[in-house]
Amino acid sequence: MHSPDRTVQTPTGVAEPIPLRPVAKDVETRRVPFRGAGFSPKALWYVPPLVFLLLLAVWEAGSRFGLISPLVLPAPSEVLTAFRNLVESGMLYNHLAASLQRLVIGFVCGTILGTVVGVLIGLYSLARSAFRPLVAAIFPIPKIALLPLFIIWFGIGEGSKVATILFGSFFPMVIATYGGIDAVDRSLIRMGQSFNMSRAAIIRKIVLPSALPAILNGMRIAASISIILLVAAEMIGAEYGIGAYVLLAGNLMATDQLIAGVIVLSMLGLIVSWLISLAERHFLRWRN
Amino acid sequence: MSFTKTLRPWLGATLMAALMAMPFAAAEQAKADDKVVVGALRFTSHSAGFIAYEKGYFKEEGLDVEFKFFQAAQPIAVATAAGDVDFGIAGVTGGFMSLADKGAVRLVAGVLHEKAGVDGMMILASNKAYDDGLTSVDQLEGHSIAMTQVGSTFHYMTARIADHQDWTIDDVKLVPLQKVGAMIAALKSGQVDAMIMVPHIAKALVESGDAKMLGWLYDYAEYQISGLFTSVKNIEENRDMVERFVRAYARGIADFNRVMLAENPDAGEQEEMIKIIHNYVYQDRPFEKAAPPILAGSMNLNEGGAMDVTDIEKQMTWFQEQGLVTKDLTMDELVDTSFVETY
Repeated sequence: MHSPDRTVQTPTGVAEPIPLRPVAKDVETRRVPFRGAGFSPKALWYVPPLVFLLLLAVWEAGSRFGLISPLVLPAPSEVLTAFRNLVESGMLYNHLAASLQRLVIGFVCGTILGTVVGVLIGLYSLARSAFRPLVAAIFPIPKIALLPLFIIWFGIGEGSKVATILFGSFFPMVIATYGGIDAVDRSLIRMGQSFNMSRAAIIRKIVLPSALPAILNGMRIAASISIILLVAAEMIGAEYGIGAYVLLAGNLMATDQLIAGVIVLSMLGLIVSWLISLAERHFLRWRN
Repeated sequence: MSFTKTLRPWLGATLMAALMAMPFAAAEQAKADDKVVVGALRFTSHSAGFIAYEKGYFKEEGLDVEFKFFQAAQPIAVATAAGDVDFGIAGVTGGFMSLADKGAVRLVAGVLHEKAGVDGMMILASNKAYDDGLTSVDQLEGHSIAMTQVGSTFHYMTARIADHQDWTIDDVKLVPLQKVGAMIAALKSGQVDAMIMVPHIAKALVESGDAKMLGWLYDYAEYQISGLFTSVKNIEENRDMVERFVRAYARGIADFNRVMLAENPDAGEQEEMIKIIHNYVYQDRPFEKAAPPILAGSMNLNEGGAMDVTDIEKQMTWFQEQGLVTKDLTMDELVDTSFVETY
């Protein structure tokens, strides 16, 4: 913009240089409104609840006036009643306790195992050659398709349920971890080596901290997959559990209970995501 | 390209004209026929519809039937409620009752009914439980029993057995496993003690030594397992079509019962009927492999599509007492008794 060689097409078709300064000094300076800013949407705190409430109001009104048939979608008030029944009967506690136990055990074991295998793949040629094709081969198998086999391998008790969640969180963790290690800045490693750091120190002080954001991100995905798989896990012989509750509601076409259960699952997802954000803030505070 | 584009309507018009000019009566009849979509499962228990179709009974009633195949009965009921399907067959389950309660579907005829002496649902014990002393149905109390889902026909059947004996359904441990495949896996590996199963699968399990037979369900409950349903809209606005469909379907049932359940069947006729059924059921197997399970899976169908409303009411009451179906549901919402004989 500041180039003095700017040219402009004149009616004669000959390009002439534009004079940099107005020739006449008395020419009035043109006032120009400020054209900057904008293009930076901000979150307005009061809008999300308003949109949510508006949506609920429209939904409720639609159900009340018969525009939305109960077959298509139950009214929010019915969902609320179903949810209240769930709380008042004490079943919510039973369901949540059963589900959380499965989730925590499956997710923690899956995450730890996944991270360990991922680190091995990221650091050692032998582990990389051995495990990477295995992970690629087993990850895409839908675990639900293997349910009959899971019953025989792990039984119809807690074993098969925990195993389903464990498998679900293991693979994304492996991939996220070795992906994170692969992406560590090599020049940092070279720097460590030139400072004569030991291999263990390089891994501990450079590789793992650099891979941590990717590992935590993998955890976020693994947690979501675990919650998704909760419903599949509780297909097998579960008396209690949010997944079992949602399945039962679906089987009985009790759509109000179905939506109530789905909301509980979604809340669970939000809480887990918030916990991981906290972990990120804590473990990655060295970045700021 | 624009040449083809301008030509296409002309081609279409010419074809239309040619079609309209066709003097075949068949073409005219097809136009007059009511289009009916039937939701079906590839089960032997759905055979009456296939037979009525292949033998032209639907055509004779002026119905142009098209089958849409599903993996489970409940989605058929949902699709019927949504208007994508006109007829379906479903077990009288908690899910079906909830849909009926929402004013979407209604039973119009009976299909599958347990009948003493005709192979039906079998009660099986796992080898492990059998060795440990579970050798008769009387000893089921306190054992674990596999089922597909809470509110399924299996759930209700177990309740009926309990009812017949001196215990209640709370005295057994019911294990919901969602799929028949999972039930079989759990029984084979001895993780559940018993289950109730359709005859062709049950017989195969007993023959291969993977399970032991305890008895037939009909000794404990002769009950209405499944029925033919349609949408309330069809009943109210298209009554005549429903009547014709039920009539043609009942003819299919009559043929099926006469040939497939006969004590001394006419071999030629039976083979011909199995061939018809094989067009829809076990298509992935050659005829020789498909014929035995089709024959073994043949269960008693309600003659004339008659409906055991006494039993259906009993089922409804049970589901309501268990809190699986709302108390608001009435028999009038669940069944329409004006199409077939009821008892």
